[in-house]
Amino acid sequence: MASGSVSITIKLFSTLREALGESKFELAISDISKASAQVDVAAIKVLLSQRGAAWKEAMNQPNLVHALNHKVVFTDAVVSEGDELAFFPPMTGG
Amino acid sequence: MSVAIQSEAIDVAAEYAQLVGGRPGAAVATFTGYVRDHSDQHAVTELELEHYPEMAHKVLESLGQSAAERFGLSNWRIVHRFGRLAVSETIVWVGAVADHRGEAISACELMMDTLKTDAPFWKREQGPAGEQWVASRDTDMARRARWRSGEAQ
Repeated sequence: MASGSVSITIKLFSTLREALGESKFELAISDISKASAQVDVAAIKVLLSQRGAAWKEAMNQPNLVHALNHKVVFTDAVVSEGDELAFFPPMTGG
Repeated sequence: MSVAIQSEAIDVAAEYAQLVGGRPGAAVATFTGYVRDHSDQHAVTELELEHYPEMAHKVLESLGQSAAERFGLSNWRIVHRFGRLAVSETIVWVGAVADHRGEAISACELMMDTLKTDAPFWKREQGPAGEQWVASRDTDMARRARWRSGEAQ
C-alpha cells in the first residue's frame, strides 16, 4: 500500500486462545511495512512476540500452525491488506 | 457431495438414506466416530470440540472432492460435530458411494485420515482428573502421510 500500512485480522484457537485471552482482533502493521518490503507470516510472529512473555512463548511453539485466509501456510507466506491470519496448535478432530 | 458442521447429534440412518438415495452406486462404505469414555491416560466424561468454522468447511469440502476424484465416487458426505458432546455421542460420520468396495472403503479411510490432521477442530476432554486439550498423535500424522507418499491405495 502507498501508506506502507497493512491491516489484517488475527484469529487464535484452542490452547493459544486460552493462553493469550483473545480470539480475534485487528492488527495494523505500519512499523515494519516499508514501501518496498513485503510482510510475511514470520514478520507477524515477531511483531506479536513483542506483546509479552505469553505471546513470545506462543509464537515460538515448534508445532504452531498458521493459516492464511483459511489455508495452512509456511512462515514465508506474504500477508496482504484485509487478510485473515490464524494461529493454532495441531488439529485433533475426527 | 456435501459437508455439514453441526452441534446437533448426527442422524446416521437419515444421512445413510440420503447418501445412497441421492446417487445410487454398487458399493457404499461409511465410518462413524463416537466419543470414547477414556483416553490413553484417564477416564473421559465429556468432550468439547472447538472449531474454526470458515476454514473447517473449506477443508472438509476440499478433502471430500479429493477423495471423489481419486476414487471415482458418485457421492460422498462428511458430517462433523462441534460443541459439547457426551460419551457415546457421534463426533463424525463420513460416507462414500463408488462402483466397487475397494474404492468406497479407501475413500472413507482417506477422508478420515486427512480430516484428523487437516481440519481445524480441537478436542478438549473432561473427566474426574479435570479438563485438558487433546494432543495430536504421531500415529495420526503417519496415517496422513501414507496418502501423500502413495503408500496407501
